[in-house]
Amino acid sequence: MELTDQEITTSREETKKILPQYPGRRGDLIPILQKVQEKLGYVPAPAMEEVAAYLGITPMDVYSVVTFYNQFRLSPPGKRQINVCMGTACHMRGGNIILDSWKRRLKIDVGQVTPDREFSLERVACVGCCTMAPVTVIDGEVHPKVTPTRVDGLLFSFGMKIEKEGGKH
Amino acid sequence: MSGEVTLTIDGREITVREGEKLLWAALDNGIYIPHLCADRKEEKPDAACRLCFVEIEGRPQPVTACSEPVAAGMVVNTRSERVDRLAGTAFELLLSSHRLDCGKCAANRSCALQKIARERKFKLKVTRLRTLDRNLPVDDSSPVVTYDPNKCVLCGHCVRACRRQGGGVLGFAGRGFERRVTTFGGASLAAAGCSGCGACAAACPVGALTAKNVRLPNAGAKR
Amino acid sequence: MSKENQAVSAAYAGLQQKAALVRQSRHEKPLLLVGTATCGLAAGAAAVLKTIKEELARQKVEATVLEAGCMGHCYAEPLVIVYKPGFPPILYGYVTEGIASRLVIDFLAGDDPCLEFALGALEENEFLPALSDFPRFGVEQKIILENCGLIDPENIMDYIAHDGYAGLARALQLEPAAVVAEIKASGLRGRGGAGFPTGRKWETCLGTPADEKYVICNADEGDPGAFMDRTIMESNPHLVLEGLIIAARAVGADRGYVYVRAEYPLAVKRLALAVEQARQCGLLGENILGGGFGFEVEVFQGSGAFVCGEETALIASIEGEPGIPRHRPPFPAAAGLYGRPTVIDNVKTLSFIPSIINRGADWFKSTGTPGSPGTAVFALAGKLVNTGLTEVPMGTTLNQVVYDVGSGIPKGKKFKAVQIGGPSGGCLPESALDMPIDFDSLSGAGAMMGSGGMVVLDEDDCMVEIARFFLDFTQKESCGKCTMCRLGTRQMLDILEDITRGRGRPEDIDLLLSLAEDIKAGSLCGLGKTAPNPVLSTIRYFRDEYEAHINEKRCPSLMCQELIAFYILPEKCERSCDACVGSCPVEAIYNNADRIKVIDQQKCVKCNSCVDACPPQYRAVIKLSPPELVAEREKENK
Ligand SMILES: Cc1cc2nc3c(=O)[nH]c(=O)nc-3n(C[C@H](O)[C@H](O)[C@H](O)COP(=O)(O)O)c2cc1C
Ligand code: SF4
Ligand code: SF4
Ligand code: FES
Ligand code: FES
Repeated sequence: MELTDQEITTSREETKKILPQYPGRRGDLIPILQKVQEKLGYVPAPAMEEVAAYLGITPMDVYSVVTFYNQFRLSPPGKRQINVCMGTACHMRGGNIILDSWKRRLKIDVGQVTPDREFSLERVACVGCCTMAPVTVIDGEVHPKVTPTRVDGLLFSFGMKIEKEGGKH
Repeated sequence: MSGEVTLTIDGREITVREGEKLLWAALDNGIYIPHLCADRKEEKPDAACRLCFVEIEGRPQPVTACSEPVAAGMVVNTRSERVDRLAGTAFELLLSSHRLDCGKCAANRSCALQKIARERKFKLKVTRLRTLDRNLPVDDSSPVVTYDPNKCVLCGHCVRACRRQGGGVLGFAGRGFERRVTTFGGASLAAAGCSGCGACAAACPVGALTAKNVRLPNAGAKR
Repeated sequence: MSKENQAVSAAYAGLQQKAALVRQSRHEKPLLLVGTATCGLAAGAAAVLKTIKEELARQKVEATVLEAGCMGHCYAEPLVIVYKPGFPPILYGYVTEGIASRLVIDFLAGDDPCLEFALGALEENEFLPALSDFPRFGVEQKIILENCGLIDPENIMDYIAHDGYAGLARALQLEPAAVVAEIKASGLRGRGGAGFPTGRKWETCLGTPADEKYVICNADEGDPGAFMDRTIMESNPHLVLEGLIIAARAVGADRGYVYVRAEYPLAVKRLALAVEQARQCGLLGENILGGGFGFEVEVFQGSGAFVCGEETALIASIEGEPGIPRHRPPFPAAAGLYGRPTVIDNVKTLSFIPSIINRGADWFKSTGTPGSPGTAVFALAGKLVNTGLTEVPMGTTLNQVVYDVGSGIPKGKKFKAVQIGGPSGGCLPESALDMPIDFDSLSGAGAMMGSGGMVVLDEDDCMVEIARFFLDFTQKESCGKCTMCRLGTRQMLDILEDITRGRGRPEDIDLLLSLAEDIKAGSLCGLGKTAPNPVLSTIRYFRDEYEAHINEKRCPSLMCQELIAFYILPEKCERSCDACVGSCPVEAIYNNADRIKVIDQQKCVKCNSCVDACPPQYRAVIKLSPPELVAEREKENK
């Protein structure tokens, strides 16, 4: 993904603001990256370079960490983040059917963002609400006992028009 | 303290430096143990390839020789049904995700996989398992080396070699089956600031990183 | 008594006095506790809380409203407890906004305790049955869940008023070796999965000289079907913290970490607050309670990698590296974080510590089995009537947990298996129900205590599919360092996917068994060593299901999507109802000439919507396996 000049400048500047809050030990790497992502929504390459310089490690070292952990994103998320629980309880209660419903309606696969950057779709491990399985977490709000119809209902409430044959306008 | 200890490997008495790892003790005395990831220069073993299993008397399970320090009076066997079976499975697993193309491969005849197959009489072919080709693009951008990630066995020698050269261009990224050797942001070697020293190709035991037909400034001893 | 010990006693007595005052003032007026742990919030507790506050203002009733954690009755969330002078404390379940207003209007403003919404009272009384009269009460025994849901997790004084930090005060007055000896004598085994004796681990750490030592609370809880640790941290964070400070005192650590999954934001928030409050009360920092011992804690957020629950990977992660396990030995207790001796204990393990120090090793050993003393905490999920959290003595049978605590299987379905221990554990069949559960009996049966996640499966759940699910999980979560796990789990997953899609080969079962054995013996860390367990246990107990998939291309539980088809029974379809037609997300259902609904098999995405939509009096939609049966039926009906 190509970043615009504006995006490059912003990510460098925001990262530079975060760095001085940490003493600069290698052990600060993950907390710093979490802060960067909290601010920017993802961890772009220029931010990784800034962090590497600050901690005195190579950008590759930072890239190793960012690509290892599920939490870190390399590209910006959609405006709404749809996280479908794929924990044991949710799976056994049809979590994959719910995931399929989201994929069908949004026309994207897991880990992707819709072309209009409105929605991103992720699978998450148990969010600890197994008793209300299957659950989908949208922007931090847990939606319990989701059905394919409920998926349509939620998308409708977000203002998306649904065509029955699948997909959006 | 640099004492010495005496132990028995495959019925032979061997005296080596205290604290030495079993793998090196054996290899230095002409006893072969299959291995890919072990690195003498590293203090802590990676123990990643899972090929170097041996039996130590008194231990319930086979152990990896690259991570096991020698001890006085230790009795070691490099062959047993269990050990050969573990090494065989690890080997076939590695082959299942290694693009087999020996005839055309630059590493033909110098490849560590071929050596292991020869020593242990393993087939250089995937028989029981599914082939897991990852279909990653080959990087031909550098003037000195070619990188075919589909042949990489993730031993890490190139990463360490690059770091020792002061480069730190190569590293591991991703997790699980997606784990791979790559550069920052997945850029091509040419774009990633590779100095062209060739240390990685010299270090690679298989045909994943190979030198192009040029004289390398750092044509170090091939392992 | 030494000067330091006197100082500790005096300082702790001071805290207790303060706490008693807070508690007293709180019970002068009615008190409402709303369960706002993650489970409560998902069920709508936030709206209930808001309604209560607004209604109280409207009715001009003076009352204290507090947010509490989870009592374990997750199936009945949102939960509200009302303390009103003159009444026993009453627990209300399935509270909606409407019920919430009624509680305020009828019970607080009026005097009608709305018993129709009550689950039970918290004490014996004359009005209504107490929770202690429930059958599950006879099975449960709460040591670490004792105060969960009953105290305010955001107020340290509430914890102190329930004798919180008394264990720490006592530990500070003992020699470190005496604290370690007490834990060793208690026989406590680690609740993070492996069941290693905690006292022995502490002893190693105490006995290893070093300039610095660390203690870490492992709160990574990565098992995809478990939520015990989350609930404890959200409901009683100080309990965990107290255990950690005592561990630090025992081994001589001056720094500690709580490593929590970032997916648990509420737990992170409540723990951070707990650390802050403990510091203000002199329970953390330099010279704790004046006893001369100093200790600092940091809350570290894990970034979403299951393997980071493995102790050496967790350490790598705190050091700023990818969470890749390292070869052991050395074990962390001898050389861990930054090469220093480090004790890593699970949330539940640490939560037992304060009461063991307070009440002694013998008291602890009086519960449970000789080999596994104490209690076990289970997260009950899946096909159970009462899902939620429970704590039972070790040695309780699965039967008691499933039927007495969980009230059995809903909808009259048949029990098939219980999955224990998540991705490292296994599936146990009905014949294992009478087995008393402890660390050793479970490993003997091919499962594992693991984290304590327990998922109950019924006749609709396919055992090959559940094995595939767990392998898919471990395969994705493997760090990828070692060959056996990175490629071995991938090979096993590919075989299982073939089987669930009807492409399995007869020799695949033996290949699975053989790979499983080598991966267990040859992997570097516990993830790989246990990853084959779900496959091994399902083959051991449910081999016939594997064979049906492979030999007949049939899924006996009608679950594997590619081996089933949906079919509408013409004789049962009501024709004019159309419920299924509207429910189908892809318009696969049409009317035939007789207005009987028919499913276009090409279009059907097998989402189950029509089965749910068909009214229960018709039940016309069924599933068939193998899918070819549909064509046969259609031909018969011509
Ligand atoms: C793959 C893997 C995941 C683990 N996940 C956890 C976990 O989420 N929580 C935990 O307490 N222990 C976990 N463990 C166990 C830890 O490595 C370690 O044994 C434990 O934290 C020790 O604490 P205990 O003695 O209190 O059980 C895991 C182990 C493995 C191999
Ligand atoms: S490229 Fe070669 S040296 Fe580098 S990890 Fe792969 S196999 Fe090892
Ligand atoms: S067993 Fe799996 S998780 Fe553990 S070190 Fe090996 S690859 Fe990594
Ligand atoms: S499995 Fe989905 S919330 Fe636990
Ligand atoms: S050489 Fe020992 S595991 Fe690779």
